[in-house]
Amino acid sequence: MLWFERQVVDRLVTTADERRRRAIESFVDGALHDMPEHLRVSIGSASVVLGGWARVFRPEPSRLVRSLDTSPLAPIRQYVRLFRSLVLFAEQEIA
Amino acid sequence: MTRLSTDILVIGSGAGGATTAAKLAAAGRHVTIVEEGPWVDPDAVEPFSLEEMVLKYRHRGSCATLGTPPIAYAEGRCVGGSTEINSGLWHRLPSYLADEWRATYQIEEFTDEVLDRYATEVEDAQSVSSLPIAPPPSSATLERGAAKLGWRAVEFPRVFKYDEQGRGVKQTMARTMIPRAVAHGAEITPNTRVVKLLLDGSQVTGVVCDREHPDGTTERVTIEADHVFVCGGAIHTPALLQRSGIRHQVGRGLKVHPTIKIAARFPNPLDHAGVPMHRITEFAPSLTIGGSVSRKGHIALALSDSAADFSAALEDWERVFVYYAAIRGDASGRVYAVPGLKAPVVLYRLTEGDMSRLARGLVHLGESLLAAGATELYPSIIGGRVARRTDDLGSWWDAVTRSSANLMTVHLTSSVRMGEDQSRTAANSFGCVWGYRNLRVNDASLLPDAPGVNPQAGVMTIAARNADHFLATA
Repeated sequence: MLWFERQVVDRLVTTADERRRRAIESFVDGALHDMPEHLRVSIGSASVVLGGWARVFRPEPSRLVRSLDTSPLAPIRQYVRLFRSLVLFAEQEIA
Repeated sequence: MTRLSTDILVIGSGAGGATTAAKLAAAGRHVTIVEEGPWVDPDAVEPFSLEEMVLKYRHRGSCATLGTPPIAYAEGRCVGGSTEINSGLWHRLPSYLADEWRATYQIEEFTDEVLDRYATEVEDAQSVSSLPIAPPPSSATLERGAAKLGWRAVEFPRVFKYDEQGRGVKQTMARTMIPRAVAHGAEITPNTRVVKLLLDGSQVTGVVCDREHPDGTTERVTIEADHVFVCGGAIHTPALLQRSGIRHQVGRGLKVHPTIKIAARFPNPLDHAGVPMHRITEFAPSLTIGGSVSRKGHIALALSDSAADFSAALEDWERVFVYYAAIRGDASGRVYAVPGLKAPVVLYRLTEGDMSRLARGLVHLGESLLAAGATELYPSIIGGRVARRTDDLGSWWDAVTRSSANLMTVHLTSSVRMGEDQSRTAANSFGCVWGYRNLRVNDASLLPDAPGVNPQAGVMTIAARNADHFLATA
């Protein structure tokens, strides 16, 4: 996972249990790794751009996901939706 | 480089490939099956679990078509292919569709009589049967909702073998056709990805593959074959043909059943182990309503699709179940093997008519669930209002847009269509690729159009028919 992807996943995971957090991150990492290359490149590019934006504007960490969710740009909303889906699924399924 | 040889090489071990291999091996032919994915014991992981996703799904289930809206899709990537991960529902190819396809694509020997004969043969082999006990609450819900509205609902049989208590075991290819093929001498090589076909004029002489070993190393293998059957599914079959330089009508006409969902909350708990066997068929084939996998993780995903606050519903997940409306649309897609990329690019652009059908499907699904007693409906549209009564559903008509709809599919067909009309097809009536005398396709790619139902029965029926035609002529 790229730096910004880690930030997003970190904020989406709700459990405080470190072992579960690591397992969820590992699942998301694996899913990104196994994605078709053209999708992974698109997501990776978005992560680099958004990572640059986050480093410059330093959004409040607790408001990072919300600012992506409410973006007027549909691809950015899709971006956070993808990560939310992966995290949500893993969080419910990993005991 | 390792060199192997065989009489018949079957690429892929899903519904089409396993049926082909079992038929040809039983007839005494020397058959080798290569499968890109691993061998996974059918009992090794819980159905529809995260572990299953990691072990058996291609791309761990994270894949989507390019288009607006994108359509997420899932395929199996293991011995047995998608039969290892699907619901096991069994729908014979509707006879009016077979008639339409025969006429439109000029398919020979595609009459009801022929198809029924092969359907019966594969149904016997697959133990296709109906549930011997009362349907579970998640399935009865659909029946109840349809009955209240005066709509038609049908309980479909499944590829399940049941004991006296009604406990069923899904008869996947890894449990049926693959062992049958192996018992007749077929060899199966998992973890082996075919890179390209070796062509010599109008003949295929073999394939080049990469075989992955348990230590992670990869070995390049050449397999020479007298005949090759490509059965990699509607995405990977055309991609392999394209990578090998075969392009006539290959990858065009891809069809899916775009599917939109609702997470429905009920007053009482429902079962969550399986998939409902009832379908509301009132609007079939253009629209089918059914139930989806509903483990806690899937419910969380479906609830989150609506973008409404779903925390209370997720807390109450045992009373929530996911249902869907799937359409048979006008749109078609394309599969492209892009040089340098392992995964093909899949384009699919829904028509305005399809978007309208999806909205209609969502509203009808909502009506049936409310009629069945649901108290809250979370539609898979961003910004879609949570519905609690029929009046709330009206807002969904305009809410299903290209930027708001969250769609998925598990049915992919028609990317190497069959028939004698060469202007529309890539293979003849029996799957022989135009221009090549010993290269055949025998999987979901051949279906000339989306069947409007789970395609496994149609795929196996056609594969058995084509295998017999091969034995009679080659």
